[in-house]
Amino acid sequence: MTTAHERWLRIVTALGARVGPEPTPAVMCSAAADLLGAAGAGILVMAEGVPGAVFASSSLAAALEELQFTVGTGPRVDAHAAGVPIGEEDLEAVAADRWVGFCGPAVEAGARSAFSFPLRLGAARLGALTAYRAEPGPLDEETYADALVLAEVVTRALLAGQAGLAGASLAIGLGDAGAFDACVHQASGMVSVQLEVGVGEALSRLRARAFADGVALAVIAAEVVALRLRFDYR
Amino acid sequence: MPMASREELLADTFLQLADTLVEDFDIIELLTMLSGRCVGLLDAAATGILLADVHCSLHIVAASSEAVNVLELFQIQNSEGPCLDAFRTGQAVVHGNLGEASPWPVFGRKAIEAGLPSVHAFPMRVRDTVLGTLNLFMAEAGPLASADVTVAQALAHAATIALLQDRAATDANRLSGQLQGALNSRVSIEQAKGAIAERAGIGMDEAFRRLRAYARDTNAKLTDVAEAVVSRTLPASQMDILLGADHGLKPDTA
Repeated sequence: MTTAHERWLRIVTALGARVGPEPTPAVMCSAAADLLGAAGAGILVMAEGVPGAVFASSSLAAALEELQFTVGTGPRVDAHAAGVPIGEEDLEAVAADRWVGFCGPAVEAGARSAFSFPLRLGAARLGALTAYRAEPGPLDEETYADALVLAEVVTRALLAGQAGLAGASLAIGLGDAGAFDACVHQASGMVSVQLEVGVGEALSRLRARAFADGVALAVIAAEVVALRLRFDYR
Repeated sequence: MPMASREELLADTFLQLADTLVEDFDIIELLTMLSGRCVGLLDAAATGILLADVHCSLHIVAASSEAVNVLELFQIQNSEGPCLDAFRTGQAVVHGNLGEASPWPVFGRKAIEAGLPSVHAFPMRVRDTVLGTLNLFMAEAGPLASADVTVAQALAHAATIALLQDRAATDANRLSGQLQGALNSRVSIEQAKGAIAERAGIGMDEAFRRLRAYARDTNAKLTDVAEAVVSRTLPASQMDILLGADHGLKPDTA
């Protein structure tokens, strides 16, 4: 079974070639729009539970991200809230009571379909990656699977960036992707209670500590779960 | 009449599955129930269900036991082991005696140390795609009877069907979305186990037991409760109930 692995390698390689070692959300948007064949792509990054920054690959995507920010409804609002992909194949044909204030202006701006993918790691909800397309119709199966992988890669890069490891965040975010085992998630939950921070922030603190100590994330996580390391020094 | 009782248990398992699939169910709870039933049906010491993420790492999403040494045996199979082989080949892997010529030196040694000398893995597949595996650990060395192989593969199919039916996972019933939804659910649960263990000063397996018992007692979905715990949106009074829970949860195998 190599197709999923091939897809992962293809996306990572394509993204790496486009964004270089400094994967800012803005640059990742452009790469995402390219890879998904969309008229534009946007990334919403949450900050302490409220919509924080938005990034976009094109003026269309920028306008639609901004619009959802203003009207508080739309695919990326729902995808983030529900934690699952939310798409609409034809923005012109949606029911009148769905995404009031979004669909009309979106069609006017030149978008006919939109597909949003949450950026999340369990209960850590970082935002959403949304593809805006000029034509109606579903995302084909291949493109949909690519979008899921992209959302995962962007999530890892954002988490690594939050740990203050921006310079190498894409490499780090991808390099230890397989090392995200149960122990790392359990330790994140423990540290989020110790420091009274969100679980995404807790993961960043674990990773920063691992980086400072020059050990693998899993090693630090195991120390926390084994009660040999605390982050609140109580 | 052990055969008759097993057939009844098997029928009951599929009946319960069918009942659950028409409702808005929690995929992790359902797969945990199936793992528990596997123990009774196949006389296994431990069972687990692993799913592959987008970069083909295998993750344990449900197990009959949350004991640390058992979970580790699932986790280390990202390097070597029957699950990885079953996942890569799409074929069942049956190994009756790890003490003799184990094809997986590190995994084999750890399994024997844990008192689990025999191990089997069954692929969860949809057409050409392998989503993950159902893994059995046995306390006694010895071959797996062909009737047991059939039952195990049927349960692996049942787990696959459950995954495909998880309507909460995505908007469009797409396979890759379903898979990622289930994996994210499990991540939320691991994060919640950590938060509960830290607050209550208990181990991870007990934290899982209390989380699950609370979800059952309040008729809530396991994943929803886990997310509420981690995001601190569970009211304090409810959190106290969860943390202090002594619900006398019945094991699935009963």
